[in-house]
Amino acid sequence: MNMLILLLLPLIAAFVAPLLKPKAATYLSSIVFLLPFLAIIGCLFNGCPSKVHLMTFSPPIGEFYLHFDMISHAFGLTICIVSAMIALYALPYMEHRFKEMELNVESEFRKYIFLYDLYAASMLWLVYSGNFVLLYVFLELTLITAFLLIYTYGYGNRKWVGILYFLWCAAAGVLTLAGIVILAFGNNTLALDVLLAGGKVSMIAWAFIFFGMIIELPVLGPHIWLPWAHAEAPTPVSALLSPLTVGLAGYVLLRTALIDYSFIETYRMPILVYALFSSIYGGFSVFKQTDFKRLLAYSTVSQMGYVLVALCLGPFGFVGLVIQYMSHAFGKSILFSSAGGIIAVHHGLRDITKMGGLHDSIPQISNAAVLGFLNLGGMLTIGMLGEFFILRGAVETFLKPGSPAFVTWGGGLALILTMIFMFILSVWYGFYTVRKVFYGKPKDTKRLEISSYLYMPLYIIAIVSVLLLFPPLSTALIQGLNAIPGLGLAGGVLSP
Amino acid sequence: MTDLTMLGVALIILTLSAVCSFKFRPAGLIGAIVALLIGLNTCNYFPYSIFVFLIGFVNLLSLVTLKSEIKGVDYALVGLMTLATMYIFNTSDFAFVLAALVLVSVPTYILVMLREGGANVELGVKYISFMVLATVLFLIGAVILFYTKTAFDGFLYVLGYVMLVLGLCIEIGVAPLHEWVPDVFASGDPIPISIIASLAKIVPFIAALWILVYTACDLTGSITMFTAVLAVISMFTGNIGALTSKEPARVLAYSTVAGMGYLLTCLVVVSKPELIYLALTGGLLFLFSNAAGKIGFFNAVKSEGAYSILMFILAFSFIGVPPLMGFWGKLFILITLAEMQYFWLVGIIVLNSVISIPYYVRLASELGVSWEANLSNLICLVVVIITLVTVLFVPVEWFFSSMEAIAHTVGIAVLK
Repeated sequence: MNMLILLLLPLIAAFVAPLLKPKAATYLSSIVFLLPFLAIIGCLFNGCPSKVHLMTFSPPIGEFYLHFDMISHAFGLTICIVSAMIALYALPYMEHRFKEMELNVESEFRKYIFLYDLYAASMLWLVYSGNFVLLYVFLELTLITAFLLIYTYGYGNRKWVGILYFLWCAAAGVLTLAGIVILAFGNNTLALDVLLAGGKVSMIAWAFIFFGMIIELPVLGPHIWLPWAHAEAPTPVSALLSPLTVGLAGYVLLRTALIDYSFIETYRMPILVYALFSSIYGGFSVFKQTDFKRLLAYSTVSQMGYVLVALCLGPFGFVGLVIQYMSHAFGKSILFSSAGGIIAVHHGLRDITKMGGLHDSIPQISNAAVLGFLNLGGMLTIGMLGEFFILRGAVETFLKPGSPAFVTWGGGLALILTMIFMFILSVWYGFYTVRKVFYGKPKDTKRLEISSYLYMPLYIIAIVSVLLLFPPLSTALIQGLNAIPGLGLAGGVLSP
Repeated sequence: MTDLTMLGVALIILTLSAVCSFKFRPAGLIGAIVALLIGLNTCNYFPYSIFVFLIGFVNLLSLVTLKSEIKGVDYALVGLMTLATMYIFNTSDFAFVLAALVLVSVPTYILVMLREGGANVELGVKYISFMVLATVLFLIGAVILFYTKTAFDGFLYVLGYVMLVLGLCIEIGVAPLHEWVPDVFASGDPIPISIIASLAKIVPFIAALWILVYTACDLTGSITMFTAVLAVISMFTGNIGALTSKEPARVLAYSTVAGMGYLLTCLVVVSKPELIYLALTGGLLFLFSNAAGKIGFFNAVKSEGAYSILMFILAFSFIGVPPLMGFWGKLFILITLAEMQYFWLVGIIVLNSVISIPYYVRLASELGVSWEANLSNLICLVVVIITLVTVLFVPVEWFFSSMEAIAHTVGIAVLK
């Protein structure tokens, strides 16, 4: 089926699903994301048209079209599978939440499912947007819908947290918009294909986009909003917000880097050191958390450090960035859903100090969480490939004689060892958390009843993350990414 | 019939309906709507005039809720303001442009005094004093600038430029000349204030832009910094004032001050007339979204709340969230500034957009109530639909092309 129609389905579902009963609306929402997921898998093997024209704007905005390449497909398939599965997961979870809030389940579900579908569909459209204005439109639509979901159904001081999130991300958005506008000034268009074919991004435009997106990402410093927003959002929203939304900042940075890499080349070392520090700081902060969702939020800060590191590492780093987004999305969606499963089954339990030995009462959730951490740690899942490409990027960038960023062996090794430490830290806090939450002395050994919606979708995500490590999916994906000018083996001067 | 004849017919209908309204009150409303429809039919540049028509129409509709002593005449006054605004692009004659400015300004002198059960004379005197000063400064500034076009004198040019810009600033409420705005907005009846905050802002902006472009000279490039600095002061004053105000009408007053700061930045384009279409698109889309938002919020103030979803959509439009109309206004303003290489001003607009977020969200939550079928909610629904028109993207391109056409036809005619 035509990709345009398939991408329109989630948008249409946002308006149709509220007319249905919760269960039917849930299935509809899940199916409309599964269909494009299957189509994207088809595209990995058979290819698909490179663009679909939408409309033509006068300069300096330029053409609006859908941009299909392997980067968009990689992000797109991740968004589709996670959104489809979390839609299913949310059925019992949100019913539980509405009852907890003493709201009418059916009427609230209508509002919720509209916002959920619109939120996920906006992210999907963002990664296929072939024009920076269109991209910005969907970036802000994700912000608004996520804000309304937190503001309406969040935990704790949800209104304050909602506004905090909105304020920071709107700041990120407008900074990016300013960069986009200045980008238009230099090139007289914002159409991606024209820009990729020889566009220039001035330093000032880059600076605006970069600072905007590191707030959205976020890295250490502007990360203040993240633990609050991710912890207090209703869990299905956390399971999209942390795995999918924040990483889209990496997508925007990657697209900008592919147009013009000069800013990163100029400031590579300070950005890289900052990203490493941010990731390691985020990793260590995980150990200090007592709230399970906050712990996962800090893990996101750490993982987004990987994305920024990868951005500094040239063509192979770019491939690493794409795969890191995917593995983090799979892992973190499973983990937030696991945290939500505990909340649903153990009546709002989020405090890690009161957990321990939960494997005995909810083994389904416990096993899923282990699979989630395997993704974050880069073990036996697609995360392995991400870490491989990040390290390959580091070697190509810093240790290959002739590379513009070549440093001495000592300096290069120090950087690479720091990156390896960054990877090890993720495994370390992963197993620490699993032990602390699911193993150890159980407080209650009684096996609890749990809806299959709360764990089956997580296993499906986990299966996808494992399948993507092996051929034919991994080879199709990597070959597709390598074929994009500027990425991997097609990266030009840094290619072997 | 020519456009001018049709305008005459529309004016006669307005006058007759105002007279008839003393015997039959709905006549004023019906006459005004008929006059506006005639205007819409004969005005050039439909994308522009349809937006003005809709804003005028909603203003007329909101007057239904106001039980003033001159019921009927107020419709005619709003009709007159709308017609003058709609026809502004039908001519390249500066006499008409200045006449339109006066036609839009003077009816507000009466409207501001309207309230239920009498006239708010004290407020009227304060407002009129400022407006007369504004109009005089604007007109004298314009005359001096026209003079320098034929016999150039640097000092006179700067004097004329400053007088015209200061006149504009008082007229639309740009800080530090915004003294009247918070008092008038907080003390007046919300309905006439919504007209002053919406419809009355469009003509002064266009008139100032036309005159400054027409009279531009070598000095213009350096003096635009004066406008940019005023815009920055206004943005910060307005946003900080709104953040620290509690009363919704006062928040809206300061939001107007901030908004007019954004608008004023468009005037930096005057030294590059070939880019005027960008400034016109940005400025006018911004003014339309501002008008829709102000009408919605002031009606909500009048009826002590409106449907919360509508309030939030209007707040998001003010903040500049895409694809609502407020976003497109700000986008084209930013593009104008980037093309003019005012990157620092782009940064300041970005900063101010962020500062404004808390008070718009607060305003929407304070004024937002559950749904109730009443006129206030109907008006809010109409303005939200206007705000949402740009969701389809095509209307934006349509409007943008129309502004290019205006810049090429009216603009070139003016520049001759």
